[in-house]
Amino acid sequence: MRNSPRLPGADTEGLGRGPLTRRLPVLLLAPAEPPGARPLESGPGTTPGRFLLRVIFSVRRVSVPAMLLAIVWQVGESAVPVVMGLAIDRAVATGDGGQLILWLGVLVALYVALTAAARLSLRLTAYAVQVVQHRLRGALSTGVLHPAGGAARAPGGNVVSVMTSDVARLSNAVILTIIPISRITAIGFIAVSLLATHWLLGLVVLFGAPVAVWSMSVLSGRLSRDTREYQELLASTVAQATDLVAGYRVIKGMRAEAEASSRYRQASRKTLAGARRNAGLLGRFLVGSGVVSGTFVAAVLGLAGWFAVDGQLSVGGLITAIGLAQALLPQIQAIASTSVPNLAGARASSVRVLDVLRDNAPSTVEPEATVEPDHAAQREVTAPPGLDVVVPGNSGPGVTIRVEPGELLGVRADDRTAARIVEALLDPRAEGGAEARLDGIAARQLSPGDYRSRVTVAPHRATLFSGTLRDNVAVIAGAPDRVDAAVWAAACDDFAADLDLPVGEGGNRLSGGQRQRVALARALASDAPVLVLHDPTTAVDSVTEHRIAGRLRGVRAGRSTLLIASTPALLAACDRVVELPDTVPATSRTAQ
Amino acid sequence: MNGTSAEPGTAASDAGPPGLPVASGSETARELWRLSRGYRLRLAATGVLGIVSTGVDLIVSVVIGFLVDRVQAGTADLTTVLTATAVMALSAVLGAAGTALTIVLATRVYHSILAALREQLVDDAMTLPQHLVERVGTGDLISRSSDDVTAVADAAPAVIPVLTVTAFTIVVSLGGLAALEWPYAAAFAVVLPVYVLAVRWYLRIGLGVYRAERTAMSARAQQILESQRGYATVLGFGLAEQRHRAVMTNSWRVARQTLRARTVLSMLNARLNLGECLSLAAVLVVGFVLVDHDASTVGGATTAMLLVLRLLGPVNQLLLVIDTLQSALASLSRMIGVVTIPRGSPDVPAQAASTDVRLDEVSFRYGEGPRVLDDITLGIPSGQRVAVVGVSGAGKTTLAGVVAGTHLPEAGRVTRPSRTAMITQEVHVFAGTLRDNLTLAAPGATDHDLRAALEATGAASILDVLPDRLDTLLGVGGYPLTDAQAQQLALARLLLTDAELVILDEATAEAGSTYAGHLDRAADAVLAGRTAVVVAHRLSQAATCDRIMVMERGRIIETGTHGELIDAGGVYAGLWTAWEAAR
Repeated sequence: MRNSPRLPGADTEGLGRGPLTRRLPVLLLAPAEPPGARPLESGPGTTPGRFLLRVIFSVRRVSVPAMLLAIVWQVGESAVPVVMGLAIDRAVATGDGGQLILWLGVLVALYVALTAAARLSLRLTAYAVQVVQHRLRGALSTGVLHPAGGAARAPGGNVVSVMTSDVARLSNAVILTIIPISRITAIGFIAVSLLATHWLLGLVVLFGAPVAVWSMSVLSGRLSRDTREYQELLASTVAQATDLVAGYRVIKGMRAEAEASSRYRQASRKTLAGARRNAGLLGRFLVGSGVVSGTFVAAVLGLAGWFAVDGQLSVGGLITAIGLAQALLPQIQAIASTSVPNLAGARASSVRVLDVLRDNAPSTVEPEATVEPDHAAQREVTAPPGLDVVVPGNSGPGVTIRVEPGELLGVRADDRTAARIVEALLDPRAEGGAEARLDGIAARQLSPGDYRSRVTVAPHRATLFSGTLRDNVAVIAGAPDRVDAAVWAAACDDFAADLDLPVGEGGNRLSGGQRQRVALARALASDAPVLVLHDPTTAVDSVTEHRIAGRLRGVRAGRSTLLIASTPALLAACDRVVELPDTVPATSRTAQ
Repeated sequence: MNGTSAEPGTAASDAGPPGLPVASGSETARELWRLSRGYRLRLAATGVLGIVSTGVDLIVSVVIGFLVDRVQAGTADLTTVLTATAVMALSAVLGAAGTALTIVLATRVYHSILAALREQLVDDAMTLPQHLVERVGTGDLISRSSDDVTAVADAAPAVIPVLTVTAFTIVVSLGGLAALEWPYAAAFAVVLPVYVLAVRWYLRIGLGVYRAERTAMSARAQQILESQRGYATVLGFGLAEQRHRAVMTNSWRVARQTLRARTVLSMLNARLNLGECLSLAAVLVVGFVLVDHDASTVGGATTAMLLVLRLLGPVNQLLLVIDTLQSALASLSRMIGVVTIPRGSPDVPAQAASTDVRLDEVSFRYGEGPRVLDDITLGIPSGQRVAVVGVSGAGKTTLAGVVAGTHLPEAGRVTRPSRTAMITQEVHVFAGTLRDNLTLAAPGATDHDLRAALEATGAASILDVLPDRLDTLLGVGGYPLTDAQAQQLALARLLLTDAELVILDEATAEAGSTYAGHLDRAADAVLAGRTAVVVAHRLSQAATCDRIMVMERGRIIETGTHGELIDAGGVYAGLWTAWEAAR
């Protein structure tokens, strides 16, 4: 796990320069490249519990050494009070200087060992967790967010929270094989040490500690369930604030400021009530765990005190017992308040991750016979393919729209029909109304990769991605000069003089009309053999629209284009226009 | 994607356009003091309770020392042990209960103040002068009312115990050590520089590392969000593989940042361990000397050792939450920065209110830019509908903004009715039911009113397709509406208000052919009987207005009815010919 050599001053990862790289040791940082990620499998038969186990044990090569080191660390921590007790007994009580130096040496050695073990263990643990997170995210990314062949349905908004917070919670389960085991070992160490001092003390700890852990876990389980509930309340209040501020101009426009504020106030009050209830439960947990641990330790100490009075235990033994009892508390509390909720949270997240993986599993409909393109090599030189779209009619036979190779075809259709055509072209395997054919071959029989390499669809609701204008326009551009041609054709020249300007999140630094023109430029830059455009200029003013219409044909020359639009300016620029009215059978006319 | 290349370890301020103000330390303190009104007595009582509880908790250590001394002296019997055990158990229980109560009380006050602050924040965000918000953008406001609120709320479990119990435990334990024998406390004080250095190191290195980690995390979330929202785009352009690779690259980048942050944490941990080791060694040495000189007993040394062990946990806790505390404070000052913006005029006031609209020699420019409106004078009598047309960049939208009061004119005088409403091309569907969306502008409207408004604007067909009618959830995560449908709802919503002047700034532009007609009819219904300014890019819409004003380079160059302007054969006539030809 050595960092790859880095050019001085280069900061490609954004990991920071200057004081950071100078002061932080490079040793034991993560490698620049992720480890060969073996995806985590999940089939229809995988239960959340089994999936959780698979996650926990997926990085044994890292987690086992981390666990062994954690044991050294935790047992070391528990040994501190013991060493101190022994030092007081052997050195302070006797006034023996040699013993003092000896025990100081032991103390320092103990700290050196436990600190080194802790450092290494913490880093290995963090590494294991990150590797698991990365793998889970990879599985969700290919399975749900970016399926190669299109998913059964579009990923919902929950995918984002599953891929961020649920993945993090589930991956934290890896820690369960490291920290709690080391803590339990430390408790065992304390029990054995007490056994050596007095058998009864050891037995009390051996049986008492699990009871204490169990009773505190019950309390903490209730608390952490409520905490999640409260956090959801908080998240919904925060989401409402975001929503209201995002709609700021609309609210201002209709003077609804007071009503908006009062709605937010209501939500905020509900969240406050949740926070107050959660604080109450936190209090109950604190009292409960305080009572359990306080009485437990008092009982152990009382017992030890009695044995000391009775002569069964030396003063040194008493002090050691006191030290051990002190060391016991943090271990019990940590297991109950951290590890148990960690397990519960990981289980809940495991359910959600599996649900998302299953709901969005790629459509299992296998093509009857995937047609392999036999002319793949020649395709670049031959004419662009012709496209047929069969739109079933409301009654009776459907209509076939044919885009001849190299043609710019306009289609005027009502909103619903237009949406159906676009859906069928976006994902030919989806069970929809319309059916697409490329050069006579049904699109659903082509492999997704082959289909996408020939047909590019620019949906009406285009999304821009964070980055610069160039990042967006050039996202699948054929050649660099296509970018400038496309920017010109989409009439972006008024605001896109500098293509290296950032567009903001989702393009929010641009106006609606500008966003739409950038999206159009992206489509035109793609150089796709077949391009499908759907209402690309609805947010653009008529003068600019005219300019775009005039440039469209030139930039798509020699390629097939299907333009679904309703604006006369664009349709006038087409080679041919097909009208698809609601009920009337399709009629075809040639423009001009 | 290079993201925001915030360089960790350098100055905290994000470079960028001038944003909303951030409150200074003293402003933050003053505002918190003001917000604490009504809770001050409770806070004081909570403080006293915290000190008493940690004191009670401390008794355990003292009793143990006492027990050791009695056993060593041979003067302990069963009664001593039983009494000691009972006192220990009792003080542990009472201490725990008192501590818990302290934390509960403090947490409740914390959340009450935070709730008051976030409500005021949203309240103020809604009433901020719009020209200010237009200048800085809504992004900053959104992040303050969401990210910062979350940061402060999430800091509570870490920060509150530290500010109440932990701080007291340190003070009381040190006091206990000093009361026991002052050299013990002095020994601990000698170790203090180790901690001071550790904290200074951590603040210098750690904060930058955490900031870089958070930046990487939000870039990752943003990317996932864009892939989800842009699913159709990803599919249509065949970007799946490319986006997947980018998400994975960012995922691993976060992993590296996180590992770096954990490394810093483990290094802090090592420094804290050094402090611990030295403290314990110091206690041993001091105890050795004191007992040797009969200035302390073995029991006293035991108590001192227990007190130091007791002290170390809270000290570590305190140091570990410093960054949470610091980022919560930063968020707080960003929230308070909005709340303390001077509230002179909530909006650009019309210099005089009347039922007519008048602009006298009005000029406007954005910042230091060129004049966008140049010496405009116009009058719109009550009830008249005026269209504003012209090519892109002529100043139509700016004129609409000045009439509506969202832009403050550089010179000149604006008169307009007080009840003014404006709809622009920007649509927003609020998360909530259709009913919630409609009643936002008219809280008192009944379901009957809502249906009537939807009917009048031709939006009844939308109602028919919604699964739960008026109760259908819309907006983020709800039933998806097209922009055109959303705009139709906005028009229905406007119909429910009592606005006297309505400004439509290309409000019906976003629509295909079928929808354009719908929206124009809806707009007709809304404008009936009201004074109106319509910025139109479809000239068919302008043609139906009472009067048309043609703009060019910030000036009104032609004005008259459709017929008059066509007859005049000027700019409008030219635009109209081009428009007719395209149809």
